[in-house]
Amino acid sequence: MSETTILQRRFNPDRDARPWQGGSRPYDLIKEVTICFLVVTVLVVGLAFLFGSPDDKAISIQTWATANQIDFAQTSISELNGTSGTATYGPPYNNFVGSSQSLGPISLESWIGVHIPVNPAQDFVLGPLSTVANAPNVTRALDVFNAATPSQQLAWETNYATAVSHASSVNGHLVVPRGAYGPIGVMIGQLTAMAKSGALDSAMVDQSGFYGTNYTKSLLYIADSTYFAAQGTAHHLSGDQWGMMNETGNFPGQAWLWLYTFWYQVPPFSTSANADIQVSALMGLLSLLLLLVPFIPGLRSIPRWTRVYRFIWKDYYRSQG
Amino acid sequence: MTLSFLAALINLDKPGVFLHWGVIQISLANVIVIGLMVAVFLLAIFIPFDRKSRRR
Repeated sequence: MSETTILQRRFNPDRDARPWQGGSRPYDLIKEVTICFLVVTVLVVGLAFLFGSPDDKAISIQTWATANQIDFAQTSISELNGTSGTATYGPPYNNFVGSSQSLGPISLESWIGVHIPVNPAQDFVLGPLSTVANAPNVTRALDVFNAATPSQQLAWETNYATAVSHASSVNGHLVVPRGAYGPIGVMIGQLTAMAKSGALDSAMVDQSGFYGTNYTKSLLYIADSTYFAAQGTAHHLSGDQWGMMNETGNFPGQAWLWLYTFWYQVPPFSTSANADIQVSALMGLLSLLLLLVPFIPGLRSIPRWTRVYRFIWKDYYRSQG
Repeated sequence: MTLSFLAALINLDKPGVFLHWGVIQISLANVIVIGLMVAVFLLAIFIPFDRKSRRR
């Protein structure tokens, strides 16, 4: 922009600044950066010694099945009959229709599609059971299940789901009332035993390769349980508890996420099936407004109207009369 | 071997304390941190600049 153009524009106090007429002095930026770095380092190390850091034990499938084997069995049958949270999640895990969130015609999950394929029945139940060695009853149960028609499998699964809802723990063993559920009782019983021994954790992580660092499937399995949801609620980490800004124990959490999590607490977001995409869009819009404050007439004048700057730089303005 | 000497002096790994006020739920720890941030902000405004060193 040429000097002529600048001179022709009308002076706007929110946009333009008069050339500085006062004095100047040298400023040691390196000194300030060094002091800030040292102060922050002392604070971080000192606070770490004083308070430590959150140290809640990780929840594994073994932890879950040991703490609540009935919930484990109930969740497992929902994985097998395709009614669990993961089985009905849709993209990116499977092609289940109608569960993806959308904002009008925008549905990012559907557009991106299935790129982390998960088949809960196979990956969580049938696959791990097929790795069991020296257990003829389990092998036979799997053979019977795999040889059955889909309608027969569904009938067994439905009957087991009903029976396991009345299950109990007796001397540490899962006891499911008798019913017409074919081989499912043996299968879920064995899966529960595997889970309690820790073998299921290993079986599911080992699927991902030599180093086994991909815990996606184990985490999805655990997340389908009511046990895990109860743990989250007990720690005030659920969405309707402002959980986004909380940390376990008495540690401070992510307080700066207050506005993001606030929307989840109030209608229409608190009752919406598309709350995630709606809140993300709203926060994106508000962030854009914040970025564009210098260009928005009225909004950009608020600091000048409130005159807070005159209070911060009171020495200067007092000297100016 | 016990590593208890590495433990934090103040143990915060206990059930959290939460404040409820209508729709608002907030942990006491977050209230304290927010309070400290506000206090630092107010101190930054009210504490006068070091005029002597500025004139040096």
